[in-house]
Amino acid sequence: MGLTSLFMGLLLFPWISAMLIAVVSSLPKQIIVYFSIGLSLLQLSIIGYFILQLGGESTSWQGNWFNVGDITFSASFVATSSAQLIALLVGIVALLVQQFSQSYLKDEPQLARYYLYLHLFAASMYLLLFTDQIWIFYASWELVGTCSYLLISFWHQKQAAIKAAKKAFLLNRLGDIGLLLGLMGLSMHFHTLEFSQMQVSSYGPAPILVGLGLLIGAMGKSAQFPLMSWLPDAMEGPTPASALIHAATMVAAGVYLGIKIFPITGEDLHLLMAGIGAISLLSGAVFALFQNDIKKALAYSTISQLGLMWMGMGSDASLLHLFVHGIFKAGLFLSAGSVIHFLHQQKSSHHLDSQSLSNMGGLRKHLPWTTLGYGIFAAGLMGLPLSNGFYSKENLAGLLWENAQNSPYYPIYWALLGCLGLGMLLSNWYISKQFYLIFMGENRQGLHFEKNTTWNFHQNLPILILALFSLFFWISPNVLHFQQSSLLNWFHLKTFEVPSFWLIISFLSWVLGLSLTWFTKAWIPLENYRFWSNFWPSIFELTHWKARWAYLLDSLILDRFLIWLAQLQVISGHIFAWADQYALDGILVGLNTKIYQSAGQLLSKWQSGKIQQYWIMVFITFGLFLLYLWM
Amino acid sequence: MGLPLLSFIILLPLLGSLLSAVGKWEKGLKLGATGISMLQLLALIYMGSTFDQTSSSFQWKEEVTWIQLPLGSLGNFIIKYSLGVDGLSFLLIALTGLISLLAILNSHTITEKKSGYFSLILLLNAALMGCFLARDLFLFYVFFEFMLLPMYFLIGIWGGPRKNYASIKFFIYTLIGSLFILIVMLGIALAYIDPYETARHLGLIQEGQNFDLEALKNLQLSIANKEIASFDIVHSFDMQALSDVNNCQPSSILHPNSGWLLQGMSARMWGFWLLFIGFAIKLPMAPLHTWLPDAHVEAPTPISVLLAGVLLKIGAYGWLRTAIPFFPAEALESANIMAALGAISILYGAYNALAMNDLKKLVAYSSVSHMGFVLVGIASFQAEGWQGAIFQLVSHGILSSLLFLMVGVLYERTHDRQIDHYSGISKWMPRFTLISGIAIFASLGLPGFSGFIGEFFSLLGAFTSPHIHPAWAILGAFGILLGAGYFLWTFQKVYLGKTYLFDSSWQLTDLNRLEIISLFSLGILSIIFGIFPQLILDWSNSFVANFLTTLP
Repeated sequence: MGLTSLFMGLLLFPWISAMLIAVVSSLPKQIIVYFSIGLSLLQLSIIGYFILQLGGESTSWQGNWFNVGDITFSASFVATSSAQLIALLVGIVALLVQQFSQSYLKDEPQLARYYLYLHLFAASMYLLLFTDQIWIFYASWELVGTCSYLLISFWHQKQAAIKAAKKAFLLNRLGDIGLLLGLMGLSMHFHTLEFSQMQVSSYGPAPILVGLGLLIGAMGKSAQFPLMSWLPDAMEGPTPASALIHAATMVAAGVYLGIKIFPITGEDLHLLMAGIGAISLLSGAVFALFQNDIKKALAYSTISQLGLMWMGMGSDASLLHLFVHGIFKAGLFLSAGSVIHFLHQQKSSHHLDSQSLSNMGGLRKHLPWTTLGYGIFAAGLMGLPLSNGFYSKENLAGLLWENAQNSPYYPIYWALLGCLGLGMLLSNWYISKQFYLIFMGENRQGLHFEKNTTWNFHQNLPILILALFSLFFWISPNVLHFQQSSLLNWFHLKTFEVPSFWLIISFLSWVLGLSLTWFTKAWIPLENYRFWSNFWPSIFELTHWKARWAYLLDSLILDRFLIWLAQLQVISGHIFAWADQYALDGILVGLNTKIYQSAGQLLSKWQSGKIQQYWIMVFITFGLFLLYLWM
Repeated sequence: MGLPLLSFIILLPLLGSLLSAVGKWEKGLKLGATGISMLQLLALIYMGSTFDQTSSSFQWKEEVTWIQLPLGSLGNFIIKYSLGVDGLSFLLIALTGLISLLAILNSHTITEKKSGYFSLILLLNAALMGCFLARDLFLFYVFFEFMLLPMYFLIGIWGGPRKNYASIKFFIYTLIGSLFILIVMLGIALAYIDPYETARHLGLIQEGQNFDLEALKNLQLSIANKEIASFDIVHSFDMQALSDVNNCQPSSILHPNSGWLLQGMSARMWGFWLLFIGFAIKLPMAPLHTWLPDAHVEAPTPISVLLAGVLLKIGAYGWLRTAIPFFPAEALESANIMAALGAISILYGAYNALAMNDLKKLVAYSSVSHMGFVLVGIASFQAEGWQGAIFQLVSHGILSSLLFLMVGVLYERTHDRQIDHYSGISKWMPRFTLISGIAIFASLGLPGFSGFIGEFFSLLGAFTSPHIHPAWAILGAFGILLGAGYFLWTFQKVYLGKTYLFDSSWQLTDLNRLEIISLFSLGILSIIFGIFPQLILDWSNSFVANFLTTLP
């Protein structure tokens, strides 16, 4: 099979899969599930075969789509190495999530709809990754947002779910206006519609305003500061779908946009991007500490980690962390799903909130494999050696350090490095703390669960596969160095030298983070604050205070501001409508209004409904007008 | 000349109208009307298959002299029955044919005075077709006015509780608009001469002989030098003659060099704005739109569908065919104001829709918002903007029809259109929820559906246009966000969430076969045009390209 037809097949197959699922949707559930997983497996094999066939090179395909005026809109696709890498991630996670879902959602009557949405999402995501034409990019950008809307509101009987879905869609749309205008600006600046044809050498880098528009779009999709508040709410959707969309792939589309525009924008924009990333990294990490709901904590953790990718400014360091994070974060979500599922099953006897940390603790005895997986994923998030996260975090630090040596803006890079260190510390703290609170110790409610005797194959398999991928040897056989990595060489990823002092900082952050967890192990967010008086009150006060402020900023000001803005729109809508009904309507026709009721006696003669009278009125008016013309 | 296919397309529904008015049919009325509509659609398909898309000139031309009037020193007047179809016309008559068929199919709610109803709806169809096919301004005006009568009665007799108010309001608004158009029509016809007819009158050419470009130039020169005696001049309403400013008599105030000013505006500027406003009422453009929500709320579903799907398009068609070609320089000069009015329409309509609790009013205001994109696109005077505007006309025709049919489905079952009287109806009506979801996402401009292409190209044209300020495009882009706001809000309130009905005795049954066919065919069309926009763009391309090259 030729490469071109393989490429086209790769792009079209997910759409066909979605249609096939729609066609067979009335079959028994179990058949649909296996059918869907089979399709997904086939999809992943196509991607794998495609990447192998390419041998590290890129390929492109272009066909005329339609013409408008002098512009030819072509359907052009290019499989760059970054797109191949992320497509591989999407393929793997999509398959594992489908496998996990069959157990997680086995009581769901509308399973076909769920699988249909997953396939639609995958189809739009591949389109987004492989397209070269900016408007197909925009279209698929909106399509993945719509799939996210559909999946968040999957349980549409839940009021919170549909509210969250709407919020997500609208905040994304707000960003999309920026993206729309930014892409228009991009095409005007470079006189082309293809990303790959944009020549910095002949036109110079894109103006900062254009870049800003693009960044606003990316902010919405990646839930970055200040458009971040939709992501924690989006956790109302089914957990496996969150793992795919709101952790591993869709939210990373913003970073992918950053990767796409990295070569065509200037350093000022890169620094702005990194700055936004740093704010998100820190605030996300602080929020994650103060969550009682484990999924919400993971959502804030996603915001924080996406911020880390943004600090890579769209360079290869961003891409590597995107891939690595996708694996371990999907794993974390699936593990959390497994925990929630376990507690949910006990619900009949205990009536408890299955997502609340207060009801957890000591779950290692019931879910040993999940515990193992969760531990490995958490190690990845912390960037411990032997995990895949180690390489990507060190790589990011290396990038910032290298720029700090060479760039005229070096103070900013040093500040970013500082933020990175602090962010790592906070990340180490919250994730190890969460691990401890879920699995270690004893159950805090004193609940006695029946021991989970059955080995839940459908849930454990994907978690263990992801855990395997989260280990170091996929990237490099050498624990501490990855310059010789065959994976990175295959996809032409540039790596950066890490200064040796950074290893010490990393080491300190692990030690400090883990000890913080140990010392704060009795503290459960939003539940008890007793330890405040016992341990370093001022520092925690400060963190607490910061979190409070950040929370206030997020929920009261930013979020509220957006809600107010939205409410203001509705209010102005009402005012406009009132004006429309009473003033405009009243002036133009002079019927119907309460204001005019006083003059009603005179006007009621008008309302006779006789056409002749209106004709007379109209002709008198017309006559007066003509008179005016001739005078 | 060949087959008089265009006359056939207009006369067929006229004949049907006459038959259903005089005959005593009971059972066969709807069947007959459907048959006529389908026959018309067949004729349209035949025409489409033999149409030359690459040509910008009119095809299937028909021309007969209708009225000849010697006016002494004012010259001679000629009114022609001349029809023709180009890409733009074809798109709109195809839309008319399709939407009429759907409206007739969905007329089962009409139970009384059926013969009158079908007679009027066929009459309306004939008038609409005539409007889009006329090449003579007078003929266009006749059809334009003729539309008023059936529409007035269709709302006034079969409408809702406030039907008298709504129908009269509709009537007055449209009438004022047509008065503006009438003033300009008479003025411009008096000021311009028809060079071809004048040459024939002078004996310079024979009947059926071609009038080459050089002869035209010579004749125009002799007009400019006042060499032709005034009683030899022939005036006509031929739109092509009126589109050439060289045909203007130098003594007229409409001549570019006349120096005549009124309130600081030249006569040509006045002419442009009168025509513009006349058609803007029809579009409708804020703040001239207040007739629309009332008319929609009171009209029965099929009439709402025709009103939103086809009638509104005449406003934009009028601009593209008359206002802008007659006064191109003035239009270009006013581009910024037009774009501003368009942006205001987009936002104003969207804000109003946001505040509505009546489902039909919401859709009506969304029409105001969506037609604002058409105005912004036209004001750009760029190929992208114009193509986008024309695409938006067709797309909105499909989508607003779909939305009104959707409201009709609900209204027919409960006789209630309040949004807060429903919640979670997806439980009872899953198929209806599916198609409503498609309609709503298509209308809020999701890529992959036709709504996106129209809005996108209108904005793209406006953003890149040298004639208008990009701020209007940016303002218009916020309409996309507001659109998502009110549509998703509606979808969430009515279809999703906990199940609740205002009146627990309501029986919400899912779609029947007819509803499935009519709703899903529109939804699928929207998807097809969204993925293969060239199916529409190729039709309008030569019109747009040809016209924009003639701009000063």
